[in-house]
Amino acid sequence: MTNKLQIKRALLLLAILGAAFAGLGYRLVDLQIFRHDELSTKAQHNTQREFRQAPRRGDILDANGNILATSVAVKTVCADPSLIGNQPDAVAHVIAPLLQLNEAALAQKLTPRSFVFKNSNGEIVTNELHYVRLAKNVPEETWQRISAALTNLTFGVDEKKLSRTNREFFRNLRRHAVYSEADQMRVYPNGLLAGQVIGFPAVEETNVGGHFISKIVGCDGVELAMQKPLSGVAGWRVTETDKAQRELVAWRDEDVYARDGLNVVLTIDSAVQHIVETALAEALQKHTPKSITGIVMRPRTGEILAMVSLPNYDPNKSSSITPESRNRVITDVMEPGSTFKIVVVSGALNNGTVKLTDQFDCEHGHFAFAGRVLHDHEAYGMLTVKEIITKSSNIGAAKIGIKLGEKNLYNYASEYGFGQRTGIPLPGEARGFLYPVKQWSKVSIVQIPMGHGVAVTRLQMLQAMATIANDGWLMRPMIVSRLQERDGSVVQTYQPERVRQVVSEATSKLMIEALKTVATKDGTAAEAALKNYVVAGKTGTAQKVENGAYAPGKYIASFLGFFPADNPELCISVVMDEPKEGYYGGKVCGPVFRDIAERCASYLNIPPDPKLMTNAPPLVVENLNHRSQNP
Amino acid sequence: MAKNRKHQAASIRFGPALKASFLCLLIGGSAIGFVWQKNEIYRLGQQIGQREAKLKQLRNDNKRLGDQITILHSPVMLDQRAKELNLGLAPAQPLQVVRLDETPSPAKDKNVSRQFTQRPVAGLTP
Repeated sequence: MTNKLQIKRALLLLAILGAAFAGLGYRLVDLQIFRHDELSTKAQHNTQREFRQAPRRGDILDANGNILATSVAVKTVCADPSLIGNQPDAVAHVIAPLLQLNEAALAQKLTPRSFVFKNSNGEIVTNELHYVRLAKNVPEETWQRISAALTNLTFGVDEKKLSRTNREFFRNLRRHAVYSEADQMRVYPNGLLAGQVIGFPAVEETNVGGHFISKIVGCDGVELAMQKPLSGVAGWRVTETDKAQRELVAWRDEDVYARDGLNVVLTIDSAVQHIVETALAEALQKHTPKSITGIVMRPRTGEILAMVSLPNYDPNKSSSITPESRNRVITDVMEPGSTFKIVVVSGALNNGTVKLTDQFDCEHGHFAFAGRVLHDHEAYGMLTVKEIITKSSNIGAAKIGIKLGEKNLYNYASEYGFGQRTGIPLPGEARGFLYPVKQWSKVSIVQIPMGHGVAVTRLQMLQAMATIANDGWLMRPMIVSRLQERDGSVVQTYQPERVRQVVSEATSKLMIEALKTVATKDGTAAEAALKNYVVAGKTGTAQKVENGAYAPGKYIASFLGFFPADNPELCISVVMDEPKEGYYGGKVCGPVFRDIAERCASYLNIPPDPKLMTNAPPLVVENLNHRSQNP
Repeated sequence: MAKNRKHQAASIRFGPALKASFLCLLIGGSAIGFVWQKNEIYRLGQQIGQREAKLKQLRNDNKRLGDQITILHSPVMLDQRAKELNLGLAPAQPLQVVRLDETPSPAKDKNVSRQFTQRPVAGLTP
């Protein structure tokens, strides 16, 4: 009996244990096999964190490595109100002065609250707010002070006497309630200098899981044009964190470094840019035009050393960015006036239609053609082609245009690049207007040679002048010299690009001979002459068009020139829109040209013209090559 | 049997005891070693994390200070300082410049200006 009873009990116990083990086994299989994917994802979600590593935006440098735009590491200060509990006032009191924020408004932000939202299943869910952004672009030092202030924060209670939960609450408040996220801010250390060329930034924000990822994007100028190389590529890190959100480095899974943006090196020279900006600002005060622009280009390469348009803007101050402060050098078109005569005369010389010595009757200042009367600013009789350039005779240029013919005139203007974008890598470049011959009126053939009936950008006009300085070769304007890594290693170099030869070398030499006479006492721009260099240039004074008609008393004055005339190093353009105190290009823009040219020549150490240095003392010291061979 | 057990040469057998002790030490040592190793991994991980943060901080500081130097050397800043300090500095006039007769190497490409060729070639090409 006893044995049977014992056996029964043993069997019962065995059955119970067996059932229990079977239950556990089932649970094990359920957890480990059937729900493996779901639970492993959940477990990973609890411990695994993915951190995005933002790339640093590349710098913009001038030709000599001076910083024009850079990115500074800053902090975005955030808070988790759910960890602040009933202490928002105390926290706000400590950090508001450091962040220079209103204490009451900050306390309001830090107050814990809930929000209602619809989840992916369409259910309405209430959730506690865990993320508020307190301040952006906070310097590293300020964040360190905030961090120290929070660590030392006391709440007027003896925390040792508090319960464990309350102690935990205060510890979390100090450590995790206010935290920072790494960010970067775009800084333009030279302020206004080359603002329109560099452009300005904007911050693009993407909401990822309730957190905002910000990215700097360019909005104008080089910042926009070179957005891709400047941006870099973001990296990421998949890792695990402990309870205190500290990374467990040993459990780092993926670690892909961010690739910083490339530095963009411009052809702009800060010093030349500063010279031009200073000279134009002085002219702006003197002549109070609506706007004034200046460009300095190397004619042999097309490198732009300075590009200024006043009024300009400071990319650091978004309030200074207005439509009036646009880069008019490339965005605005105008009738060029007499500077366009270089196109018709060089075309006619190149075509063999005229010679510099050929004479034209300038009709004593009045020339009737197709029902219109053309005027010169002075009554000229017979003028040679060279003198037509010297005196800037409209009638002479018109007659050369007639002799050249509509088709040839159009072809040369087109070859010089008018009516097309120059291809400078800056956004917003206008094409200008150069209508095909079939759309020309009867007077177009006499209007266009004197720079009317055609609309050009200031850069196109300078490019044409630089073509003459460069033996007839049209160069593509360059603003970006190269892309390089932060350590200076070059990734890509942009080489000077010849577009086409518009006129022959011989023609360009003849043109230079004619253009040299402009900045003389017989020419229209005696004020543009330099003491130590021979200048070749052309003046322009165009009546402004408003509402389809020429506005009386409103002019665009310009002077384009290059020097030294026989070995051109710099080609400079100065254009004023509605100048006061005179309006002739030679009178108002000539002195500005001279000012810029003298300062640039000194800075760039351009050798003076030997012909103009006859009174100078002998400056040659010795032959360095010889010295190196015989120390 | 009992007699035989009673009259064994040595009442304590050291061999098995040593083996057991060795096994215990091995298991215990392995366990302690495992925990120590885990602690080391954690500690070194924390150090790596801290040093990475420090390195990042130093790189940022280095960049910031480098930028400061460049900005202080920029022509605009120098011009501004020269004006502020009223040093009476002015650009040299062409006649004040002493030129040394240094025979330049001829530019290979006509399209390249003299100023352009004077730049150091090293580092310009990839």
